[in-house]
Amino acid sequence: MQIQVKCSCGAEKCPEWAIIELQGVVEVQPSFQHSLQNLQIGLLCRPSSQENYTFTVGYHELTGSKVALKKPMVVLKKIKYMDVATSSSSCVELDVVGVIRHKILFKTRPTALISGPQPTVKEKINAAGA
Amino acid sequence: MMEQPHSCCKGAEVLLNLQPTSSVSIQYHPFFGPHDDLVLLELDEKLLSDVLYQRVTLRGQPDEDAVLCTKSKTYSVKFVGTSNSVFLIPPADCSTSHESGGENYKQQVATASVIKVAPGNMELVEVAPRLDKLKSILSENLYSSDEASTAMGDLYKWDDLINKVQASDDELKAGLQALSAVEIDGYWRIVDEKYMDVILRMLLHNSVLNDWSLDSLVEDKVVSVLESDGFPCKLVYHCLNVYGSRVEEEAMGGGVWRLDARRVCVHFARGILREGKRKMESFMEEWLRMIPEEMQPSFDMLEGEVLTEKLGVETWVRALSVSSLPTTPAERFSILFKERAKWEWKDLEPYIRDLNVPGLSSEALLLKYTRRSQPSIDAEPVFSAR
Repeated sequence: MQIQVKCSCGAEKCPEWAIIELQGVVEVQPSFQHSLQNLQIGLLCRPSSQENYTFTVGYHELTGSKVALKKPMVVLKKIKYMDVATSSSSCVELDVVGVIRHKILFKTRPTALISGPQPTVKEKINAAGA
Repeated sequence: MMEQPHSCCKGAEVLLNLQPTSSVSIQYHPFFGPHDDLVLLELDEKLLSDVLYQRVTLRGQPDEDAVLCTKSKTYSVKFVGTSNSVFLIPPADCSTSHESGGENYKQQVATASVIKVAPGNMELVEVAPRLDKLKSILSENLYSSDEASTAMGDLYKWDDLINKVQASDDELKAGLQALSAVEIDGYWRIVDEKYMDVILRMLLHNSVLNDWSLDSLVEDKVVSVLESDGFPCKLVYHCLNVYGSRVEEEAMGGGVWRLDARRVCVHFARGILREGKRKMESFMEEWLRMIPEEMQPSFDMLEGEVLTEKLGVETWVRALSVSSLPTTPAERFSILFKERAKWEWKDLEPYIRDLNVPGLSSEALLLKYTRRSQPSIDAEPVFSAR
């Protein structure tokens, strides 16, 4: 069986995707679990001309930086379709929909900000990772 | 009328180009979800253009681990999980974005939406092509002299082989070459050794009859004589390819070929030992008798093809051809140590010379799969199973 890896957007036009990576898990308040769409997770700021960033999630502030990936990644989309032509069962194709070369990485312990109203989204410190 | 700024105020672009003293709101995408159909694949920079320019494929049967193949290399695909939260943010599709709030409200707040939290990514490890399967499927139906009556079962064209064998195109071609496979009527076949023997002997017999030099066989003459003896022309060419090499390109009478002494001598040795081991004297006598006059056989032509062992005062010879052994190191060493518990390096080397594991030198292979011991300081080191 052979699955072709395609790039339907074209190699030169393949868009760049981004990654924000942090240790730990982002928790959503129970009442919002089923309506995540468009819900704000947090605010990402770049305070100065350096590639340092802060990410405020709920009452936690994380600090991190933009790093170039040691090895680039591609984003692949699996496409299943029925091949009418050969009347065989489902066919699978892989389409490259994006390239990732950078990520914004947060790897330090978050600092707690002065407590305000209960946030709908908060960052939970990963017990093992922190 | 002022031109709309080209840069979008949404998505991955705004995140990657965030200006000093700016901020962006990170949100869950309207279509946030598990999106199991989206996977991340990490790869070396040099592979990136092969992927983007559609020069790679995934190969394998449903029950096998998939491999990714470029034109010339094979990579196993492995999933590596992460305990971190990896928020995946696509570029914004500005044409279909919907503004929240009224038409008049200028969207000043930049937003970037997370489509998925990735559990990890796939990564690639270069591996040796999985060619043992090629040998076994082509051996199901050896091409023999009574081909017409026995050609049943599965035969494989190039495209069938691509679907079944986990190797890149170049590695598959090399594998077919190593097996001395031949394409007949579009199907790749391995010719039965006994049939090859018949053709070779007929060629040598005719060389004597017609006073042909084995160093300069004229292709057209050889083919026409053997064809009139009833051999398919495709197989005559195959015989020349297997036991010789072209010394001159297409000239008046077609190409000119020279038979390779080692390949011819190995062929006859294998024939003699096919029925079982032989005493050295008996083997040598028969072997020398069979070999064409012009050729000088020597026992070291048979390295990687035969093993000798002393039983009492007699030395015996038996066949063990490296070409019959598995290509994967673990299985190769396992069979070698079953054949013989202890090996000296000079005997072992021809049987592992062809092992190919990307990233492992032959020293590393020995370290991994063998136990090295040395009976005394001036004795030869000996290798045995781990």
